[in-house]
Amino acid sequence: MELSGPRWKGKNFAQIANSNPMSKIIAQLQVCLSNSESAALPIGTDFLLETVPELTKLLNRTSFGRQLTTSYDSKQYFQLSPEETFYLHHFLKCLKVSIDNAKLIDVNDLWNFMRSRSELFPIYYRAYVHLRSKNWIVKLGTKNGVDYVVYRHHPALVHSEYAVIVDRENDKGEKEGKRMRIWSDLHCAVRACNGVAKAVLLLNVMGYEVNFSLPELLERTIVDERQITRWVPSQCRDDCKLEGNKGEHH
Amino acid sequence: MDGEEVSKVEGETRRRRKGKGKERGENPARNRQQNNFLPSSSLSGCQIRTEVSKARWVEEIGMAQVIEKNGSLWATTGVIRNGNLYCHIEEIGYLAQIGALVLLDDGENVMGLKDIFTKCADRRYGCTWEFFEAYRDLKSLGFIVGRHGQPWSLKHDNLKPNSNFTVDTDFIADRIEELQIGAANLIFDIYKPNSKFKKTDPGAPSFIICLVGDWPPIRKEVEYLEEKCKLVPLKFCHVNHGDVRFFSFPEVSLPVLP
Repeated sequence: MELSGPRWKGKNFAQIANSNPMSKIIAQLQVCLSNSESAALPIGTDFLLETVPELTKLLNRTSFGRQLTTSYDSKQYFQLSPEETFYLHHFLKCLKVSIDNAKLIDVNDLWNFMRSRSELFPIYYRAYVHLRSKNWIVKLGTKNGVDYVVYRHHPALVHSEYAVIVDRENDKGEKEGKRMRIWSDLHCAVRACNGVAKAVLLLNVMGYEVNFSLPELLERTIVDERQITRWVPSQCRDDCKLEGNKGEHH
Repeated sequence: MDGEEVSKVEGETRRRRKGKGKERGENPARNRQQNNFLPSSSLSGCQIRTEVSKARWVEEIGMAQVIEKNGSLWATTGVIRNGNLYCHIEEIGYLAQIGALVLLDDGENVMGLKDIFTKCADRRYGCTWEFFEAYRDLKSLGFIVGRHGQPWSLKHDNLKPNSNFTVDTDFIADRIEELQIGAANLIFDIYKPNSKFKKTDPGAPSFIICLVGDWPPIRKEVEYLEEKCKLVPLKFCHVNHGDVRFFSFPEVSLPVLP
């Protein structure tokens, strides 16, 4: 499918987004979070962060985590995914994390902690950094059967344009991930995502080796971006007008 | 709106567009199909034809020579060698299936569809059954389909001196080596439907089709094939029990947002 550009949810929403660049809101979040005493704690496979109204507002505006609804007014609670937690801690350098509820953990220990819980954490983190560092909003894509969905700005303003699948290959260019291995994987992903007006984006983390350190992960891997698009010849659009052919006009 | 709501709205829009103000059930063709439990047609245009051409199969070159040319379809079908018109087995298969061509053997016997289809699947003539199904799918939609890299027209002085068809048999031999089971092969040069198409000067194709086997191509393969196609867009074709589907894997670059 051809996407005709971002699908804004309201009439002036594109202007609202333009007037509020995400990078600026994230900068405000960085300041607020750095000044906060609150530290994220492991909870299940995710992390729990206790917040106050100003921080709550910024986390919501930058679409990090999910706010847990409570009846409390003075404090709020957010559940952050491992990638979100690590991104705020390592890349944006503003989130404190505590593992055993006593002292704060540093980035290397947190890296080891994340890796001990999920072998694939480095791959997903690499993809997450790739997307967030370009100021796209990244949310979990479970509902669409993919890894992430990405938004050009806040999900309240715009529909997500891409459904992201993360794959990987080693430094010899050999595919190592288990995604998109058989044809029905492709048919399924494209059908599910095109049905909700999203293009399928395959992010291939290239050159990864299991023993990479954190700096090596970011410096020595490349993320390749390819769209998976189905072409339906009977529904050719602008790139292929059918002239003078019976019954097959778009 | 979340994904489910979007999908609902789109579904409603599609249903509205399809209806186009007509009452449901006013589609006579569909009613006939449903009443008689007929399958939907796998090929549009299978009607009795008044313009039927004739060709003779030439085993030595794995092609047929057109001996009676009828109809305007020959402007975009078949290749010219030494001023004569020849067609590949997939072209014969398609034209025979829609009743536009009668194929003779080296005598005067008409070859039936069973023999023609068997030849399509034979692999000795640069074609496989899946190759033929992909060809038929695109051709029936009006695209101009040629074998990848093969000239539409060759004049006398371009041929090697001793044999009339050395060039063609070389092409066929190349194609047989390439069409390995399970591998990805560049098979067709496609031109958009065009009444001004000239075999002597076709220009660059609109896109190239790569037939892929059992496994989707990996990134390295996609890049390698894209390089072979140079700037012509590449589409990947997978045929699964008669179901022909096309994909492309364009490189994108998500912009850095403000």
